[in-house]
Amino acid sequence: MTRETRSPRNSLIVLSLGPTIWAVHFLASYVTAAIWCEKAGLGATLSPVQLLVGIFTLAALVAIGALGLSAWRHWGYLENEGPPHDADTEEERGRFLGLATLLLSGLSFVAVIYVALPVVFIADCR
Amino acid sequence: MNEAPAGHDPDMERRRGQEKRLRAAWATPRGWRYWSAVNNTEVGVWYTATSFAFMLFAGVLGLLIRVQLAVPDNDFMTGPFYNQVFTLHGTVMMFLFAVPIFEAVAITIMPQMLAARDLPFPRLSAFGYWCFLIGGVFVCGSIFFGAAPDGGWFMYPPLSTDPEQAGIGADIWLLGLSFIEVASIAAAVELIVGTLKCRPPGMRINMIPLYAWYILVVGVMIVFAFPPLIAGDILFEMERMFDWPFFDPRRGGDPLLWQHLFWIFGHPEVYIIFLPAIAVVAMIVPTFAQRPIFGYSWIVLAAVGTGFLSFGLWVHHMFATGLPAVSLGFFSAASQAVAIPTGVQIFVFIATLLLGRVVSSTPMLFVWGTLAVFVLGGLTGVMVALAPFDWQVHDSHFIVAHLHYTLIGGGLFPIVAGIYYFFPLVSGKKLSDRLGKWVFWLMFLGFNIAFLPMHVSGLRGMPRRVFSYPEGLGLENLNLVSTIGAFIFAAGFVLLVLDVVRPRRGQPYADTNPWNAGTLEWLIEMPGESWGVRSVPQISSRYPLWEQEGLARQVAEGRCYLPDAEEGRRETLITTTIDALPVQCLRVPGPTFITLWAAAFTGGVFVFATFHWWFATLVSGILGAGAILRWLWTGTAEIPEKPAKDIGLGVTLPLYMSGPRSVGWWAMFITMMGDMAAFASLIFGYFFYWTIHPDFPPPDQPDPSAGWLGLGLVLLLGAWWLTVRARGRNAAGSPGALRGALALGAVLATAGSAALIAAAWLPGLDPTSHVYPAIVWILLIWTAVHGILGVVMQLYCIAGSVAGRLTPRYDIDIWNVTLFWHFMALTAFLTVAVLALFPMAV
Amino acid sequence: MAELFWLMAGGAALIWVLVLGTAFYATRVRPRPHGEHVGRMLILGGGVAFPLVVLTSLLIYGLALMPELRAPGDGLKIRVSGEQWWWRVAYYRPGSDAPVHAANELRLPLGQRVELELDSPDVIHSLWIPPLAGKVDMIPGRTTRLVLEPTRTGTFRGVCAEFCGASHALMAFMVEVMEPEAFAAWLESEAAPARPAKDALARQGADLFLELGCGACHTVRGTEARGPVGPDLTHVGSRLSLAAGIMPNEPDAFARWIAEAEEIKPGSRMPSFNMLPARELDALAAWLESLQ
Repeated sequence: MTRETRSPRNSLIVLSLGPTIWAVHFLASYVTAAIWCEKAGLGATLSPVQLLVGIFTLAALVAIGALGLSAWRHWGYLENEGPPHDADTEEERGRFLGLATLLLSGLSFVAVIYVALPVVFIADCR
Repeated sequence: MNEAPAGHDPDMERRRGQEKRLRAAWATPRGWRYWSAVNNTEVGVWYTATSFAFMLFAGVLGLLIRVQLAVPDNDFMTGPFYNQVFTLHGTVMMFLFAVPIFEAVAITIMPQMLAARDLPFPRLSAFGYWCFLIGGVFVCGSIFFGAAPDGGWFMYPPLSTDPEQAGIGADIWLLGLSFIEVASIAAAVELIVGTLKCRPPGMRINMIPLYAWYILVVGVMIVFAFPPLIAGDILFEMERMFDWPFFDPRRGGDPLLWQHLFWIFGHPEVYIIFLPAIAVVAMIVPTFAQRPIFGYSWIVLAAVGTGFLSFGLWVHHMFATGLPAVSLGFFSAASQAVAIPTGVQIFVFIATLLLGRVVSSTPMLFVWGTLAVFVLGGLTGVMVALAPFDWQVHDSHFIVAHLHYTLIGGGLFPIVAGIYYFFPLVSGKKLSDRLGKWVFWLMFLGFNIAFLPMHVSGLRGMPRRVFSYPEGLGLENLNLVSTIGAFIFAAGFVLLVLDVVRPRRGQPYADTNPWNAGTLEWLIEMPGESWGVRSVPQISSRYPLWEQEGLARQVAEGRCYLPDAEEGRRETLITTTIDALPVQCLRVPGPTFITLWAAAFTGGVFVFATFHWWFATLVSGILGAGAILRWLWTGTAEIPEKPAKDIGLGVTLPLYMSGPRSVGWWAMFITMMGDMAAFASLIFGYFFYWTIHPDFPPPDQPDPSAGWLGLGLVLLLGAWWLTVRARGRNAAGSPGALRGALALGAVLATAGSAALIAAAWLPGLDPTSHVYPAIVWILLIWTAVHGILGVVMQLYCIAGSVAGRLTPRYDIDIWNVTLFWHFMALTAFLTVAVLALFPMAV
Repeated sequence: MAELFWLMAGGAALIWVLVLGTAFYATRVRPRPHGEHVGRMLILGGGVAFPLVVLTSLLIYGLALMPELRAPGDGLKIRVSGEQWWWRVAYYRPGSDAPVHAANELRLPLGQRVELELDSPDVIHSLWIPPLAGKVDMIPGRTTRLVLEPTRTGTFRGVCAEFCGASHALMAFMVEVMEPEAFAAWLESEAAPARPAKDALARQGADLFLELGCGACHTVRGTEARGPVGPDLTHVGSRLSLAAGIMPNEPDAFARWIAEAEEIKPGSRMPSFNMLPARELDALAAWLESLQ
């Protein structure tokens, strides 16, 4: 009665992993650009920043994609009836966490792409 | 049920006895001792009433602003007084209403919603309330002496750091609000632990009421958003009091650092206001659609997603500061992205209404108002998220309109809906539906008449924060209409207040569960008892009152957990975070005045420091520390008279738990996360200065002594290791070793803190000469103060061990102190690594 | 920018009507509850797909707009410094190092990309000419930039948009966009020193100006007044307004401003010379007004 069966997947940490990756990507991109532009001066090219942000973005998208995939399996949409996942069982609790993680991964995926867009359109430090 | 006559029925007698004991244990003190109450049913109501009082005060200030702007070139107020009025209007609305009202409502209804008797740290709630009251009165009162802050609610330096232009009002703002921010963080800790650990058995993570999801998210946001502002406040006040040049460009400082720190707090703040208010809507909508929410997971997505994204928006308040376009682009992108989760929850509400059978009611009317007003505010928000458009309307009345649409639509309207909805929980009676319609239409129409024209006046070039505007710019009619609307809006609000405070002796009590809602807070009897829920049920669904038949009767008859208070103690259940398995029966403390004293003396520190009465500050600080230590000594980590107790239904739970399974450990962990956020903000300051200066550290400034820094670090790490050892040796049954290790640890920690100070003192770093020595000093003082705090904790544990309240079996205190020391070690390491190694690296 | 605004405003109105319309339909109109697939479509379509399309297009549009708005100017450079509560202005002609000093007014040539370099010696201000462009803050210790490309001639009003203390509301200025030739001629005359006083009253005013020590703060090029604290008054009589955009440029206003500066603009560093007899005020006003 006093032990809960916990797997790493069933935790609030995993739930917030997607947005955490977004936050790290966001900060890395912003800090890179801010430091570069402050040190390189007005009108400097952004090429190195574009490259770095590109790499950050790729890494973040891969990580979020992997997380989303694992969440999709955890949710197991094909094997169950789908939401609302409100039943009093460990399976349903797990499916809910899987679905919520999947949705957050989706949001984080889009948000990472959004944050990468500025370096596509802006090429210098002005 | 047995139909035997009452009084002879053994079951009835059992229940009477239980109720009598429960009532005695949870009794609210009478007479003047009433103010020693700590239970959420009292503190929550005081909190709510006080925030509304501040809100009315700030509302009057708002009306004064509108009177002044009603006609061009008005001389109703002088410019300087007007500047105090608008600064205080914004400050009070944000810090003394919008955030506290969330804490107030959450403290009032969360325990009921989770069928908990109280939150885990009732005295902390009471302490927070008294801090809020004292700080709030201090800040608001200043205007009656013409000494209110007058630099705008975001207090930009150098205007607000200039002692000639910003008088004592700026200090009142900084110190008064820092004090309140501490209280907010306390409330956040309480609510996070409450949501995670105080749920009823069986309420798994997929069944938590949506309100609790939002509160959890907002609590975490506060823990990370408020500390940067506290860090900023520290820098700001050091500049004002001791001339340390953090924001003075002539000595290497930069006014923009304040803007960064302020808005890292300030933008999440907007969502800290919005999310708990929309959380109320998430409770009201299912009730009046008479069906479960459709899209529960989507709401969780929205709450968690918004919580995260809101930390990536802060620079959109700084779009006009001339930062590189690419930096603005990142924040523009995040500002667009946050609209997605916000939109999702609106559509979840609409979908739920679409799928249910909607019952009209006053709360629903205000939900309507929320949608209509907030959606418009959100749409203008999407517009200003585009930097090129923001450049045009930034700091104009367009922004004034936008922010009022989001805050009143997304904050005030849902809260008023919540007042109509939850009022029976507090008073046992409903508010008037007839008046409610009047209130709604006056508020709704008045609001739009007041604020819709401001979009146009802003586009026509009216900046915000002006005490007058000339004729002939096409602003006259718009402003007059706005003023009329503001008074209509205010009339609606006054009507609401009248309805709340009017005597309602003749009015019968409402039925139990008057709205036929599905969640646990409606288990409460009308009128409610201060024990909250009669017995704690086993939960197996999201809407237990709809889906678990007979639940209300079982609870009322005391057939669930904890139906009794055999030992006359206040108790509530602690459960696991994911599946809510019961793990502990937690004894919570009862009424006391010590929290009031602790708040009064702590408040004294801030108030006296404002006036530079250093001796009084010191005395107040010592008394405050004494009061807090006494509170901890007498009210926490109490050793129970027996190890475990039967909570009913054949379940026996321990009464005492330490380490990661105890709520105290969780509270310490969360508090330390906030502490690290403030520390990280100071480190950010260091690297910010490095970024903006071609030469940092400046060649003509001495560096702190690497030798002393290294020595300090070694000593502090030694103290940390000894503390960890002390816990281990104590648990192994050797309290003597604990005392010895801690005593040595305290010596090392004191010496280590002193060594850190020496590292800046001996090379002669002058913090008023340049920002480099100033930021070095701040980091060292921060670390040394934490070291001394760690010493106090070590001595406290030694005393506890000697007094027999810290034993090998009952060792909460040493666990929590060890946890503090883990973070302390990290702080010391980072401080020394940055200060000693970075100057060598560049 | 105007098209962007109208596009967004129209779109916003449409979305508002759609959302509220759906909500109204959901609560009031529909006869009986809908099935779950309708709710699912609503959340996926209205809450996810539609916002995704709208927000993505807006973001791309806004980002693509930025490089052009931030592109450097093509010739004339103007330094504007926001000070409590007026504007110090210096024109730098292409190929010339000598600035032309002025105050509280901007003149711009039509159709050129003029680069403004903005800063402040005291507190944060923000330069905003609503009909011409967005605003940019003037931050002590930093230099910020704003590029203006006026597309029509005329007179516009600019203001300080960032709260900057007691008289923030009284910090405005006039902007005149001129044909390039007219602008060049104007700049030429602005660069010249002040004309000598013509009539007796003005001459008396000029003497008084120096006697009273006004020259300690103000500069009138061509005279002994070389104070750097307050606005350059060499051609103050030709400006479109007085006291940073808050009074008309008339002799009476000059006299009133000199006598009551502290009352008119609280906190201002210009003292009130209300001890001066009316005659002397008139003389000062006459001289200043003659500085065309």
